[in-house]
This record gives sequence, structure tokens and C-alpha cells, in this order.
Amino acid sequence: MVMTSEQRVEAGEIVGKGRSPWADARRRFFRNKAALMGLVILGFVVAFALFGGYFAQWSNEELDYNVMGQIVELGGPSIESGHYFGTDDLGRDLFARTIQGTQISLAVGLVGALIACIVGTLYGAVAGYAGGRTDGIMMRLVDIFMAVPYMFVLILLLVMYGRSITILFAGIGLISWMEMARIVRGQTLTIKGREFVEAARATGVSAPVIILRHIVPNLLGVIAVYATLLVPLMILTESFISFLGLGVQEPLTSLGALISEGAGTIAYGTTWQLGFPLLFFCLTLFGLFFVGDGLRDALDPKDR
Amino acid sequence: MLSYILKRLAIAIPTLLVLIVISFLLMHSAPGGPFTSERELPPQVLANLNAKYGLDDPLWKQIGSYMWGIVSDFDFGPSFVYKDRSVNEIIAQGFPITLTYGLLSFAVAVIVGVSLGVAAAVRHNSLLDYVAVGVSIGAQVLPNFVMAPILVLVFTLWLGWLPGGGWQGPEYWIMPVIALSTSFMASIARITRSSMLEVLTSNHIRTARAKGLPERRVILRHALKPAMLPVISYLGPAFVAMITGSVVVDIYFSTGGIGKAFVDSALNRDYAVMMGVTILVGALTIFFNLVVDILYGWIDPKIRY
Repeated sequence: MVMTSEQRVEAGEIVGKGRSPWADARRRFFRNKAALMGLVILGFVVAFALFGGYFAQWSNEELDYNVMGQIVELGGPSIESGHYFGTDDLGRDLFARTIQGTQISLAVGLVGALIACIVGTLYGAVAGYAGGRTDGIMMRLVDIFMAVPYMFVLILLLVMYGRSITILFAGIGLISWMEMARIVRGQTLTIKGREFVEAARATGVSAPVIILRHIVPNLLGVIAVYATLLVPLMILTESFISFLGLGVQEPLTSLGALISEGAGTIAYGTTWQLGFPLLFFCLTLFGLFFVGDGLRDALDPKDR
Repeated sequence: MLSYILKRLAIAIPTLLVLIVISFLLMHSAPGGPFTSERELPPQVLANLNAKYGLDDPLWKQIGSYMWGIVSDFDFGPSFVYKDRSVNEIIAQGFPITLTYGLLSFAVAVIVGVSLGVAAAVRHNSLLDYVAVGVSIGAQVLPNFVMAPILVLVFTLWLGWLPGGGWQGPEYWIMPVIALSTSFMASIARITRSSMLEVLTSNHIRTARAKGLPERRVILRHALKPAMLPVISYLGPAFVAMITGSVVVDIYFSTGGIGKAFVDSALNRDYAVMMGVTILVGALTIFFNLVVDILYGWIDPKIRY
């Protein structure tokens, strides 16, 4: 078949440039409208958390003595008073507090997911690569841990070792690596039979190096997907604990703690105290879920 | 089948033991004992208290006697804060309440979720399907602690239809059940829909249709059973999450279930009650996972015993 020059250029371009799996995935992701919408929402929330502070007229700890005691009448959202989102029941600026809460919630989500990823990936890759009895014992342990009511254990931890944010970060990460370990193990089992792993083993590369250099990089797609889906779950967990008043401590706050405060005072008619934190909470989760789903569609070879 | 159940039990029992040991060690390693308070106790008093609660025994003996108490008499020991009450009494007070609204929520989530999912799959790409998908995506970001205040705001404060908290009659059950079941209902609906869509394209459904069975029978007899498998495997985690969620319900609606006892004991550092609740919840979870596994083995012919 004779090709026109344009077709030849087109074909040549495709051959010349090639398309990596990552470029493919990127294309699929950007064609997914829901995922793009999620990305935009997420970008807005992150920008709010990072740069919102420059627009705040009040800090998150300052008490506004003008509105104190008359929150219902004077504490509502208004541009003139500088309280764009109103104030809480103590007269603190809700705009500044929502920014601060969003920061903490995002940080907990990211750090928790990161810890879960590292622990889960290493555990799963080691179990899958070792195989045999080691694998059996390691995965049986995961089964056992998964049946532990982790939220209760986490609260137990927080109560015993003080409600510090470090414990919260570590605890949330350490209770959620099991699912990740299972997924990584399954993928490792399929990868470890491939030729390049065999070649590495034949040339005498040690097991830890094979796992870190040859297996884990090939799992990055799957890991990225489940990490993104873990972040909202971590945020949910943290918010749950903060809602119970067992999470971060004042003056720090998180979206869960703000929702809890707002929920406690709605009877007085200060609906903005519930509304704004709730809005940002829902936006964050929406964004993360959509981006995670989009990434899964783009990267997970299972669903192709 | 029996050996399958036994095999599952062989996992369940060590799990429970691990849970007990972990929570015991956690409690033991916590800084400050149960009698630490602002007011310094004289050393003799402290020693007597420790002796009374067996806290001066070696660790293995403490774990042993604690476990033996649970196994032989179902006894979780005395509360560390309320000197006249045992952990059993505290749990027994709240447990029936938690069980009532928990089971109701579970039933609502499963029945409504599965019906919604099946309806959406059968009427794929219809308005009903879009509504179902929309609802289930929306409800994903509405966990119990978000639903609870919204429900109270709408139904108690604005409409005045339902009491905002307490536990006196069926009208007090409605909001806790809705708050607890919404997000699970949404997940179940989504899982049912996608697995039903997959099953509906499979060969045995085409055969069933080809031999002229009425559509109703095709759906209910031939499609529903295999489509339920992913839903059943979701029920285990959902159950755990629901028990956890009951804590929020107890706090927000003042229903007085075990969640309240747990948070109160967490704030009072009443380790004995915390451990009792944790172990009870763990045991329930393990038992429920066992039931789910058996159910799964019964429905899925591919599982070999």
C-alpha cells in the first residue's frame, strides 16, 4: 500500500517517539472527565490550604472580642468583619481555622498513605518474592491483623501514649498497610516469574536488591493507584477520631474536629460552623476519590 | 464443608488470642498505671491496690489470668475507674442497644443497597441507573459523622419531625440507622451494580434467556446468586466499619450503646473497659468474618473445602 507523505510522517512520528506506558496512562487519565474534574477540585482545595492564609484577616488562635457572646447575631460570615466564613463559638475566625484544618487533614492523609505504602509494599514484595512457607506465614499474619478492629486499637494507642500528632500519623499509617501488602504480593507473584528477574538472579544479584531495584519499580503504577485511594480513607479515619474529640489537640484542628464543633453547636443556629468545614471535607474527598478512580482506570492493567 | 469451617476456625481462634495479647501488652506498656492521678497516693496504698487487681504479678501470669477469666467465665475483670462496677456490667448495659440499631442498619444497607444496585444494572443507562450511580457517589463522602449532624439539622431543628437524641422508642431509631447505613448502602449498591452488569453478560444468563425464562426469574434465580459474591466479601469489612461507626452514633445521638462506654473509658483512661470493648468487637468481627466465609463457600461452587 502506498502511503501519502502525511501518513508516513504520522507513522514515522509514532515509531520515532514511541509511547511509554506512562504516556499512555497520562493520555487515558486526561481523557477521563470525572478524573479531570477531581483534579481541578483537588487543586482548588490544595491551593486553599496553602495560600488561603494570605487572605485571612485573623489568625486561627485570635479571639474576636467584638463578636464574643453574640456569635449567633454577629459571628456569621461577612466581608466587613473579615470573618469570611464567620467565627466559631469562641469568636475565632473560621476561615483561618478551616485553612488550618484542611492542612492537617491533607497532611494526615498524605503521611498516613505514605507510611502505609512503604510498609505495605515492602511487606508484600518480600512475602511474594520469598514465596513458599514464609509467604504463607506472612500472609496469614496479614489475615489476622485485618480482623483486628483497628479504629479501637488506634484510639487505645492515642489514649495511652498521648494525643500527639506523630502518634496519629504513625498509627493511621501502620493500621492500613495490610490491603496494600496483599495487592503488592499478588503483583509480585506474577512479576517474579518474568525473564528479567530470572536474569538478575542468574547473575547473582542479592534478593533485597532484586526486590528494590527490579520488582518494586515495576509495581509503581499499582502502588500509585492504591496510594491515591488510601489518602481519602486516611482522611476519613483521622476525621472520625477527631470527631470523637480524640484526635489533634487545640489550637491545631482538623476538618473532622471542626465538623465535630460545628455539629455540637448547630442547635444554636450557627449553621456556618458546620457548613464550611463540611464543604471542604466533601470537596477534598470528592476530588481524591475521582482522581483515584481515574488513576485506576489509567494505570491498573487489570481493568484495561 | 465441615473441614472448611474447621479450617476457618483454626484462623479465627489465633486471631482472637493475638488481639487479646496485643491489647493487653499495649495497656501494660502505657505510661502511667490505672491509679495514676493528680493526687499522689501513698506507696502502701498503691501497693495494696496493685495487689488487689493482680498488677504486681509477673506479666505472663497477668495475661494468663486475664485470658482465663474471659474464656472460663466471660469475665473482663473490674473497671479501673468505677470501683463498684465490672467491665461486664458496663458492656452489658450498652450492648443490646448497639445490637438493635446495628442490625437494623446492616439490614437496611444490604436490602436497600442490593435492590438499588440490581435495579440500576437491570435498567442499565436509564434515568434510574444514573440516579443510583449519582446517589452512591454522593453518599461515599457522607460517612456517619457527617450524616449525623446533617440529619439532626434537617429533621430535628428545621422540620421538627424526629427527636434529636435518646433511646426510648422506634422513632429514636430512625436517624441513627440512616446515619449509620447510608455510606454502606451506597457502597453495596455500587458493588452490586457492577457485578450484576458483569453477570448479566455471561453465558449462563444468555442460555436462561434463550430457553425462554421470564426476565424476572432470570434475574432473581440465575443472576442474583453469582452477582452476590463480591457483595458478600464486602460485608466483612462493612461490618467492622459499622461497629466503629456506632461509636459516633452513640456519641452524637446519645443512644447509650457500647460506643459511649468506649469513648468515656478512653477519656477516663479506664483501660479495662477499653480492652473489654476492643476484644468484644474483635470477637464479633472474627465471628462475622467466619459467617461470611461460610456463606461465601456455600454460594461459590468454585471454592473447594
